[in-house]
Amino acid sequence: MKFLAYLVSGISLGSIYAIIALGYTMVYGIAKMMNFAHGDVIMVGGYISFIAANYWGLPTVVSIVIAMLVCTMLGIVIEGLAYRPLRSAPSLAVLITAIGVSYFLQNSALLIWGANPKAYTPVVSGTLRLFQGQLSISYVSMVTVAACIIIMIALTLFTSRTRMGKAMRACSEDKGAAQLMGINVNFTISLTFAIGSALAAVAGVLLCSFSPTLMPTTGSMPGIKAFTAAVFGGIGSIPGAFLGGILLGVIESLARGYISTQLSNSIVFAVLIIILLVRPAGLLGKNVQEKV
Amino acid sequence: MSTILKVNSINVYYGNIHAIKDISFEVNEGEIVTLIGANGAGKSSALNTITGLLRSKTGSIEFNGENISHTPAYRIVSKGLALVPEGRRIFQQMTVKENLDMGAYTGKDGFEKKLEEVYTQFPRLKEREKQVAGTLSGGEQQMLAMGRALMSSPKLLMLDEPSMGLAPILVEQIFDIISALHKKGTTILLVEQNAQAALAVADRGYVLETGKIVTTGTGDELLNSPAIKKAYLGG
Ligand SMILES: Nc1ncnc2c1ncn2[C@@H]1O[C@H](COP(=O)(O)OP(=O)(O)OP(=O)(O)O)[C@@H](O)[C@H]1O
Ligand SMILES: [Mg+2]
Repeated sequence: MKFLAYLVSGISLGSIYAIIALGYTMVYGIAKMMNFAHGDVIMVGGYISFIAANYWGLPTVVSIVIAMLVCTMLGIVIEGLAYRPLRSAPSLAVLITAIGVSYFLQNSALLIWGANPKAYTPVVSGTLRLFQGQLSISYVSMVTVAACIIIMIALTLFTSRTRMGKAMRACSEDKGAAQLMGINVNFTISLTFAIGSALAAVAGVLLCSFSPTLMPTTGSMPGIKAFTAAVFGGIGSIPGAFLGGILLGVIESLARGYISTQLSNSIVFAVLIIILLVRPAGLLGKNVQEKV
Repeated sequence: MSTILKVNSINVYYGNIHAIKDISFEVNEGEIVTLIGANGAGKSSALNTITGLLRSKTGSIEFNGENISHTPAYRIVSKGLALVPEGRRIFQQMTVKENLDMGAYTGKDGFEKKLEEVYTQFPRLKEREKQVAGTLSGGEQQMLAMGRALMSSPKLLMLDEPSMGLAPILVEQIFDIISALHKKGTTILLVEQNAQAALAVADRGYVLETGKIVTTGTGDELLNSPAIKKAYLGG
């Protein structure tokens, strides 16, 4: 029963990582860059929904929508101001800029909202008790897992069925050829950041509902873990991000339950390193072989 | 005969490398014009400049009387100009059908009809419709690249070394298709290293050497010119 409990909490934690990882992986797939500020967009999403619900007294759903809108705008602005000018710059310059944006967001949050943690009210409360109370599953976990699955399916359909989604895949393969087809690459990249950031807002709301202390650094650690999850699953792959996120959550939860809370992060990363040594492209990553 | 493409003294640089040196040429409606030259002569650079992927420092490019030298690359195809790029550059991880779909990205309607036409032209593509493009053979990939460009119903089709890396029988097939497209009224600008085959189908040709146009003439004139024979046709 204990195992089941750890598994359930691992899956729901993993679902949050998966939602964040989907954002990382989409942006990487198209812009070919690691947007290290992604984790901090999560934090912004948390604060915006917190303010909308607690200060302005708006209903939960509305506050989530507002958080998504704000993060979408933020993602577009970050891409346009910080990354677009570096489109043809060396990738190291882009990486450093992304780290800079990350610190900028954290410190702005510190300035605006202060260092004191805010007590976040979970978006759904209550717990389902099974087996005479031996196994309890919070409704937040269920909502989280459902949200993750819906998002994954929606993204898969979007990229495989819609004109815009196919254009995104075309851009991710060859930006020059995509332009020859009439695809506006800058717009497509903006759109990708917009989607990724909207997902980050959702992740922020769910994350804060899980561990209800909200601080300017709230997004960093989950961001790094989700980034690892994306690499682990195979960077650029949507099902890979999903799988990577869930596995990461489960490993973390089991390690915490059976081995040690303090060591859980080290164990997670150790497992990841071992898997990447065996499969450098990640679980579902393609070892791209191009025909010449 | 009206001029459909007019390139006026363009100069293209890659950093310090002066790749295109004050080139001017034109293509008239209904013609096949070829640009021939050795490796590194600047043929691809010229085509990429016309499509807006590269920019010229000087001069202008007019298409259908409109100056397109500052038009963003992604707006070019909807004006009726399509390029089959060097090395095909099909979307390897997308299916054949999806690649053709991308070719019609800017086209509003008539997708099914266009698709039917392309499949009639290249029956092999229809057979391979659902296959991932990266797994096609080299010749099939070239057909896909051409089919993809035709999906936009271009007024001017530009081809960058369509015969590259293909077996002689396939080269012949590709040139047959080019002639067939020409007969149906498509204007074609053809870049080739296979000068013999290109000049044989072309109405006119330009010879490019280290970024400059050194000779021009009708296909036959160039085919029979001793200098060209010596330099490009193996004596
Ligand atoms: N991306 C680039 N960076 C720097 N120099 C380049 C680049 N692309 C082309 N060049 C140079 O510009 C010149 C013209 O190249 P281009 O590719 O246009 O030649 P080409 O005639 O198409 O040759 P090929 O028949 O080999 O395709 C060459 O000297 C080449 O080295
Ligand atoms: Mg070339």
